[in-house]
Amino acid sequence: QEYSFRFQSSDPAGNPNFEYQKGWTDLVAERSGGKVKIELLPVGSVVEYNETLDAVAGGILDGQICDSSYWAGKDPAFGLISNPVGAWSDPAQMIDFVENGGGKEIMTELLGSYGLHFIGVSTPGLEAFVSRVPLDGVDDLKGVKVRSPEGPIANVFAAAGAAPVNLPASEVYTSIDKGVVDAADYSVFSVNQQQGLNKAAPHPVYPGFHSLPLVEVSMNKAKWDELPDDIKKMMEETVKEFQQTQIEGLKKADGAALEQAKADGSITVHDWSAEERAKFRKIAVAEWERVAKTSPMAQKVFDTLTAYLKEKGLL
Amino acid sequence: MADFLDVGLNLQSLGIGWGTIVMFVLMVGLLLTGMPLAFVTLLVALIFALGWFGPMSIPLITSRVYSFVMNFVFVSVPMFVLMAAILDRSGIARDLFDAMKLFAGRIRGGVAVQTVFVSVILAAMSGIIGGEIVLLGLIALPQMLRLGYDRSLAIGVVCAGGSLGTMIPPSIVLIIYGLTANVSIGELFTAAFIPGFMLAMFYVVYILARAYFTPHVVPPADPTPIPTAEKLRLLKGLALPILVVFIVLGSIYGGIASVTEASAIGVGGVVLSTILRGEFSFALLRDAAMQTLATVGMIVWIGIGATAIVGVYNLMGGVNFVSGLITGISDNPTVIILFMMLILFVLGAFLDWVGIALLTMPIFVPIIKSLGMDPVWFGVLFCMNMQVSFLSPPFGPAAFYLKSVAPPGITLGVIFKSLIPFIMLQMLGIAVLIAFPGITGR
Amino acid sequence: MSDHPRTREEIDLAATSEGIGAPVPESGLMGRIVDKAGYIFAAGIVVAALILLTEVFLRYVLNSPTIWAHETTVFLCGSAFVFGGLYCTCRDSHIRVVLIYDHLSPHARRIADIVISLVCALASGFFAYAAYHMVTRAVFTPSGEIRLETTGSAWSAPTPALIKIFIFITMVLLVLQFLILAFNYARSGQRD
Ligand code: NA
Ligand code: NA
Repeated sequence: QEYSFRFQSSDPAGNPNFEYQKGWTDLVAERSGGKVKIELLPVGSVVEYNETLDAVAGGILDGQICDSSYWAGKDPAFGLISNPVGAWSDPAQMIDFVENGGGKEIMTELLGSYGLHFIGVSTPGLEAFVSRVPLDGVDDLKGVKVRSPEGPIANVFAAAGAAPVNLPASEVYTSIDKGVVDAADYSVFSVNQQQGLNKAAPHPVYPGFHSLPLVEVSMNKAKWDELPDDIKKMMEETVKEFQQTQIEGLKKADGAALEQAKADGSITVHDWSAEERAKFRKIAVAEWERVAKTSPMAQKVFDTLTAYLKEKGLL
Repeated sequence: MADFLDVGLNLQSLGIGWGTIVMFVLMVGLLLTGMPLAFVTLLVALIFALGWFGPMSIPLITSRVYSFVMNFVFVSVPMFVLMAAILDRSGIARDLFDAMKLFAGRIRGGVAVQTVFVSVILAAMSGIIGGEIVLLGLIALPQMLRLGYDRSLAIGVVCAGGSLGTMIPPSIVLIIYGLTANVSIGELFTAAFIPGFMLAMFYVVYILARAYFTPHVVPPADPTPIPTAEKLRLLKGLALPILVVFIVLGSIYGGIASVTEASAIGVGGVVLSTILRGEFSFALLRDAAMQTLATVGMIVWIGIGATAIVGVYNLMGGVNFVSGLITGISDNPTVIILFMMLILFVLGAFLDWVGIALLTMPIFVPIIKSLGMDPVWFGVLFCMNMQVSFLSPPFGPAAFYLKSVAPPGITLGVIFKSLIPFIMLQMLGIAVLIAFPGITGR
Repeated sequence: MSDHPRTREEIDLAATSEGIGAPVPESGLMGRIVDKAGYIFAAGIVVAALILLTEVFLRYVLNSPTIWAHETTVFLCGSAFVFGGLYCTCRDSHIRVVLIYDHLSPHARRIADIVISLVCALASGFFAYAAYHMVTRAVFTPSGEIRLETTGSAWSAPTPALIKIFIFITMVLLVLQFLILAFNYARSGQRD
């Protein structure tokens, strides 16, 4: 039997993330001998990026590859698990938490209640921070106007003394270029560099200290349940491969972009010390606690996450 | 889910090729019945959602409606319309155009030329064309008609000039292109400026040529010298509009406000101007706000209908269809580029630019990159193509925006006819940009 | 207008007449109520402008931006956009291509008006049905409790759920308004 599915990504077509995701759909086709065809649509093709959960649940789309924090408006637990600000300093940590530390079970339960099945996780990696002003630690954030997207991250910035500004992604460039905001949570270093953000705001912080998004690959549960076991297994395994390719590929791209930025005399790359990163994480944990109280699932995320971090000596 | 809604229509058997054609024919056919445009596009989206996928797919239309109305960048549309409605009710617009006569009165066609320059300034203030065309339609159009300009010329200047909003930075078209193609938005803005200005100059040259070769389309030049006292009185009319422009541009380029916020600053500036002129009253603000509601209702619902069609067409496999059209067409880069232009032109007749970008960008940009061409240059070229799509019938947003505020005698037929020479000029711009990519400074 | 120049007053009046226009008589009592309600949404646009100005002031001058200004602005303008569709329906001011329509006899026009209104009512009915599904997902949690969908931002206001509910209500009202229009077009046709 042949299967053909439509997935929508939360990335635009020319973005490297989209290319890696497309690589996954090619891999699925290859491994299934052409039996499973997934058409990957770029962000906004069928519905907007923050509406795909409903579209997959309602059977309009078959699946999605997107940042889970977009569902924070449905349940704050999504915001906490997909972007526990300050928790991770390497993609491997987050991946291990999801795959072996209880994250997968929570994602399965969360998405399952909305009629979706969690297939696997990926991430573009640790985001770099875009800034017009030199930032070398938490104290430097005082009074800095920071563009921040959905999720609990704005509250963490506020607690750290910064002034969070809510702007859509489409206004980030013009606002940072002209100085409406001083800094921005945007994307990984290589993407920031390619889109010219580091040129406009020449004090990037790399590696970032704030965000490492959890990107979920999920699909309509009823359609997943109809799949034979071997195909299910193949899809899970290929997500793992895609995840590794994406993380390594983007790390490499970040490295190349970093060289490019360093060669460009006008850009100064900042790196925070371990103490400063720890200081920021401490502020973030207080915000995790606040979010935990807002829903039962968020509490569950908090408990599982802190238990994992303590076990690994990260908290 | 709700089998009673299943109308037993199976459009999927048409295949995407015929489906595309049936969709376009249905759209044009329904338009000609006199059904409101917003409901024509919504209905076509509905018929295809139902007939292609079944009732479970209709929520995608309402989801797109929701996302469309909750988009922060569209906040600038009511702001620009409100600005226009207040200007229109005060004497500011009339005084501005009277003062412009001071500089342009001696040149035949001078006020139309100045309107082009005003549009370039407006274009630097905003990145969304809906508000700008309404503003020019409310302010410049009646004034040009009052001064005795030919109706077609005045309409063309307003629609083509207002469309420059996405060619001159800041531009939402270039921003979306930059995000899609992963190229620097700053470089796109820099590269687009000269081609945008060049297009504006084409309009200027055209106006001057019309004034010279077909003298009846412009009012006769007024050779009588204006007394100094009168000059000073007229010049005062420029002060407040220039101040408003200065505040808005200053807030954007001075890093005070985002582009969308700057549109609200414009409203503030215009209200302040009416207060300074002693014209402000509660009734003025109320009427202006009511007109804004009526105008954005029309404008936004056209966008709502367009966004619904885009979502349904993409789900039908539109991207694969366009991709199939272009693969294997030729090995010659010029032929490929020209074929892309043709696709953009055809799509531009029926879809809004967001839909065109979603359909073509994922296909075109990798091709451009693999041919070794500059994606930034192509972004500017794409933006220039969207200038055409704003004007080209039957789905020409610029014409609809103007219609929403034009005097009743100005029908859509009249508007589209007036736009033909300007579409030609835009195509000339595209040709120049392809022949001389260096214009983008790259 | 180049053939018969009009006075400035005439042109200005014509240019602004759409704004101070009125609901068409066929829209009935509902049209008049919608027309009055438009006042609230028009005021919302002015308030949105004020909020944005305040936000710029707070951020630029006092360096303390709010977390609510942009979301509130989007909500106010978004509701005005949605309501604007109903508002223009009552005034019959949505853009239409009247190339053929204008050449029809008064009788044929009546019939066209009736058919168009009925088709629009039907389409709006489908959208009301779809919006109802959207609303249930935005208002209830999977376990069936009431929890309004929020923006998920730092402020996390329930504006997404509110706008979705409002889209549903507007679609239902559109069905009603189009039916009233169709009925009144038919009735005035009989009188002719
Ligand atoms: Na612009
Ligand atoms: Na067009």
